[in-house]
Amino acid sequence: MAISFTLNGKAQSVDVSPDMPLLWVLRDTLNMTGTKFGCGMALCGACTVHINGEATRSCITAISSVAGKKVTTIEGLSADGSHPVQQAWMEEDVPQCGYCQSGQIMSAVALLTKKPSPTDADIDDAMSGNICRCGTYQRIRKAIHRAASIKGGKAKSAV
Amino acid sequence: MIVAEELCCDWRRVQVLQPDLDPKFGEQLTGGSGSVRDSYQNLRKAGAAAREMLIAAAAAQWNVPRSECRAESSFITHTSTQRKLAYEKLIAAASKLQPPADPPLKNPSEFTLIGKPTRRSDTKLKITGTADFGLDTRVPGMLFASVERSPVYGGTPRRFNADEVKAAPHVRTVIEVKSAHLTHQFGDTSGPGSRNYTCAGVAVVADSTWAAMQARKLLKVEWNEPPSASESTASLREEMLRLASEPAAVIRSDGDFEKSHAAAATKIEAVYEVPFLAHATMEPVNCTAHVRGDSCELWAPTQVPGAAADSVASALGIPRERVKVHVTFIGGGFGRRLIQDYAVEAALVSRDAGAPVQVVWSREDDIRHDFYRPAAVHVLHAGLDAQGQLVSWRHRGSSPSIDNFYNGTGISPQSAAQVESLDFPALFVPNFRLEFAVAESVMPLGYWRSVSASGNQFVLSSFFDEAAHAAGRDPLEFLLAAFGPARKIPVGDGQPLDVGRRRAVVELVAEKSHWHEALTAARGRGIAVGFGWGSYVAHVAEVTCDAKQGTLRVDRVVCAIDCGIAVNPLGVKAQMESAINFGLAQTLKSAITVSGGRVDQSNFHDYEVLRMNDAPPVIEVHIAPSAEPPGGCGEPGVPPVAPAVANAIFAATRMRIRRLPIRAADLRSA
Repeated sequence: MAISFTLNGKAQSVDVSPDMPLLWVLRDTLNMTGTKFGCGMALCGACTVHINGEATRSCITAISSVAGKKVTTIEGLSADGSHPVQQAWMEEDVPQCGYCQSGQIMSAVALLTKKPSPTDADIDDAMSGNICRCGTYQRIRKAIHRAASIKGGKAKSAV
Repeated sequence: MIVAEELCCDWRRVQVLQPDLDPKFGEQLTGGSGSVRDSYQNLRKAGAAAREMLIAAAAAQWNVPRSECRAESSFITHTSTQRKLAYEKLIAAASKLQPPADPPLKNPSEFTLIGKPTRRSDTKLKITGTADFGLDTRVPGMLFASVERSPVYGGTPRRFNADEVKAAPHVRTVIEVKSAHLTHQFGDTSGPGSRNYTCAGVAVVADSTWAAMQARKLLKVEWNEPPSASESTASLREEMLRLASEPAAVIRSDGDFEKSHAAAATKIEAVYEVPFLAHATMEPVNCTAHVRGDSCELWAPTQVPGAAADSVASALGIPRERVKVHVTFIGGGFGRRLIQDYAVEAALVSRDAGAPVQVVWSREDDIRHDFYRPAAVHVLHAGLDAQGQLVSWRHRGSSPSIDNFYNGTGISPQSAAQVESLDFPALFVPNFRLEFAVAESVMPLGYWRSVSASGNQFVLSSFFDEAAHAAGRDPLEFLLAAFGPARKIPVGDGQPLDVGRRRAVVELVAEKSHWHEALTAARGRGIAVGFGWGSYVAHVAEVTCDAKQGTLRVDRVVCAIDCGIAVNPLGVKAQMESAINFGLAQTLKSAITVSGGRVDQSNFHDYEVLRMNDAPPVIEVHIAPSAEPPGGCGEPGVPPVAPAVANAIFAATRMRIRRLPIRAADLRSA
């Protein structure tokens, strides 16, 4: 049975098993590989997307529950990496291996939507579900603060 | 950056590309912290040779002497007339020239790129989801496979319900994957007793990853298990403790330990232990393979594509030249992707499925079928004379041996040993004895970021701290006193041991961490060092402990590194931050335990790693200026993390941590 939802602003319909997780619909059915598989149990955050603006682990989200909703993935954040959070990530030179960063960025964007000027404690709360084995945590903190400044129009140019 | 420096390129116009496996590049390996230190001279020469060829081509075109031309910012300029030619206009002519064998290299004082903090070139791909990792490989007609592997390494499937699973939706086939020998990445020297092979299993091949994983849940496999399947963490620990409590193979002996220790005024002893560790790279292990007749194409997230080609060629019985390896981005390596079991497995499944297949390991597969950092037990004794000088030191270690695992049991005790004969305080204690006993284990073993040093340095820098406290001395002063004056100590055929560089990083970290400033109650500072891979690292950790609650917070880690010339200081800092957080994971979180030869853990809920809320608010990295050749940076920052934290805990609480990871019970005062 076809399931319809909005994906990155466009109507999308897929004909898959209703219990298939959104992650695998994105990756294997739609070949949108920017959203990453990390654990399959919502423990690592690599698969984070937005559903109706909420940061959601797509690896445990059945596609049937997405029907009629708005899904945003890393590919839908900006056409060219120009989203303020992506810009801050560039300026702080955050990624190392980079595998977790789609999920990190999606979690950070959701945080900044709710809290435009988060404290370090807010960042710890919002981001502790996203694992980075390369240990870029300190740079992620800095980049979130920088993104908050960019969004608030207080951005300083990169060093 | 190294090539572009000598080639005099405009960095803004430089693109960095990942090549496939190709013999023209020589050895292609990311490991051993070697990417910069092993290729520095060669890459400089390559860049300089290309620069000289471009100059020669321009000089010929203008019909002027070469000495009147110079390279700058991706142009060749004729200095007297200021005529300019862009490199791209000269490439065709230059590529026809003979590369000079010994091109002139720049004087480091002329460097404009090397030493300049430079951002990564691949960030944009990684923040837009467009970097293609191994799992992102998409090939026309490809299938996806999920493999049930023997829960005990060395087991084989006896019987399984292939027909039932084949009937599941979207399943194409079910295949037995036989165990295959692996070619060692550092040269195939496997002898008798080598256990270097892929884990046998049963592959479910389907139209999507999800379908393969779902159908695999229907699989029922009966396994033939090896006799060693009775191993548990407790039984191995008991065996290692027994072995480390008895005389063992002597790896180093200076002076007379027994005599000097008998006469020591103060004696200390301790038992240290560390667990097995999994790599848990964020990108689960995977490989895509397409076998066609006597050829194979691989899309492999690998640290060593040559070993993938060797191992796959041998498993398929085809010539190595017929294996084409596309190297993808890798979502973390840390040594896991030096072992090419996953490439062989994908090739065998593709061959039998008759299609391109991506084998996707679940996180559970990854945690349970890794090649683990060995668990170890160490028993140490040290003696101080009446003046508080360290006069005797005996270290007996026992663990399963990585080198036996790969190379067999015929190698020397020195080769099999998972301790290093030159690790500090060797050479700095007059009566020093280092012994090692190999413990048998069913577990597959591998290279985990900084390998044995990851556990050994915890033992060495912690026990050294115990000696400092036994002597009633400040640990920093005790360390500097043990080093003695700056000098170079010859050691065999290798580079002389440079005490001056050791002292300098310790002094730098002491200054930057404000070592001598007092901290409030329940807070403490600890120092630890790590020397290796051509670099010198010292960390100071600052912690806050609550002995009632058994809680610990790492507030700050200050790192000093002398890695010779820091080609990209921003990259060096990133590696040190990464190493510190990686080291904190093993300090605070991670352990693999075994029951009945099986790994007990399965995912990030029970194999914990560092998360944002555990990451120190402050990491400072200070790079010591140096004109020495570049050293490695990937690994040397890891080993001193655990002992710096453990020593800080002692400073804060007088509680001595002797096993990893640190447990709440180890922090609680009685």
